[in-house]
Amino acid sequence: MAAKTSLKGKGKAGKGSKGSEEGSSAAKCVKEWSTWAMKKAKVITHYGFIPLIIVIGMNSEPKPQLYQLLSPV
Amino acid sequence: MGSSVSHAAAPPPPPTAVGLAVALPPKQDEKAEPKNVDWLNLPCPVPFEEIQREALMSLKPELFEGLKFDFTKGLNQRFSLSHSIFMGSMEVPSQSSDTFKVPTAHYEFGANFLDPKLMLVGRVLTDGRLNARVKCDLTDNLTLKINAQLTNEPHFSQGMFNFDYKGTDYRTQFQIGNNAFYGANYIQSISPHLSLGTEIFWLGHQRKSGIGFAARYNTDKIVVTGQVASTGIVALSYVQKVSEKVSLASDFMYNHLTQDATSSFGYDYILRQCRLRGKLDSNGVVAAFLEERLNMGVNFILSAEVDHRKKDYKFGFGLTVGE
Repeated sequence: MAAKTSLKGKGKAGKGSKGSEEGSSAAKCVKEWSTWAMKKAKVITHYGFIPLIIVIGMNSEPKPQLYQLLSPV
Repeated sequence: MGSSVSHAAAPPPPPTAVGLAVALPPKQDEKAEPKNVDWLNLPCPVPFEEIQREALMSLKPELFEGLKFDFTKGLNQRFSLSHSIFMGSMEVPSQSSDTFKVPTAHYEFGANFLDPKLMLVGRVLTDGRLNARVKCDLTDNLTLKINAQLTNEPHFSQGMFNFDYKGTDYRTQFQIGNNAFYGANYIQSISPHLSLGTEIFWLGHQRKSGIGFAARYNTDKIVVTGQVASTGIVALSYVQKVSEKVSLASDFMYNHLTQDATSSFGYDYILRQCRLRGKLDSNGVVAAFLEERLNMGVNFILSAEVDHRKKDYKFGFGLTVGE
């Protein structure tokens, strides 16, 4: 199924339709910001998830050596 | 003399307990009296998505076509890196009945961190796709699971958040996914062997919703499950553990919307050096999957799937090194 990352956007749009004009423009701002935040979060996760696992793993006990990351032994 | 003759004539007295048997408590005849069921202390049921896990493990091995090489290197008890190469054909789903195969080759790098409380698994492919799984125990009973596939192409990424709560004899799960997908399921033990469950889901963007019911009956030797959903799917399965090494499984699925019924029958041999799974389908598909342990940590894999009706033959081989 085609996927979109604008999950939060849909919920906020529902709230906006109930409020007044000012409320709806504020809701639109919130929706835009949340969409922007989701896009940034997706990029950060995409590039940072594997390095995060490696950092957590290298700091766990017993600490492995750095060369063990690259050597095939 | 006289006394011994009269002794022999009478029926011999029952042998009295001798030696060690005196020390042990007398053996209770468990089969004769039914075990008292403690209705307040029923066991926790399996999670709802794993209700058919025995049948799936036996009947749906990961069949592949081509060469597969997996190398897992453990740096630590909890941290490991994995390198995986795949060269072969992948099937592209097509509308017509012809199978459409695309030759692909990719290298996948993965990192795993497995802690009792936190599990992080990430896999990244050469074309930039990231497959991420996170499982975190927030408290003793509450677990958060995140599953995501992120791609470089816009609008093709998927993600799902699951919150699982485990009670004494029930489990409940709440799911939030992209595309405004919301789902919830609940499963409860009704007796030591029987558990019933239900699930509902709502797809926001397509305005679809559905409800389903499931039941699972298991004893030491058999597992019977049934699932019915409002999307028109009925799925039944039956697994029998014939012995410690052998189990047989069968599965039936009926889709009411497409008027399509499939049933399959398979076996699962778990032997000391290998694991062999085979299956025969009502669509005319015969499949087999062999994992042979050549040495400590080295596994040789053979996969075969022959579809007589579509004339599609898939054979694969591979090697898995590491745990």
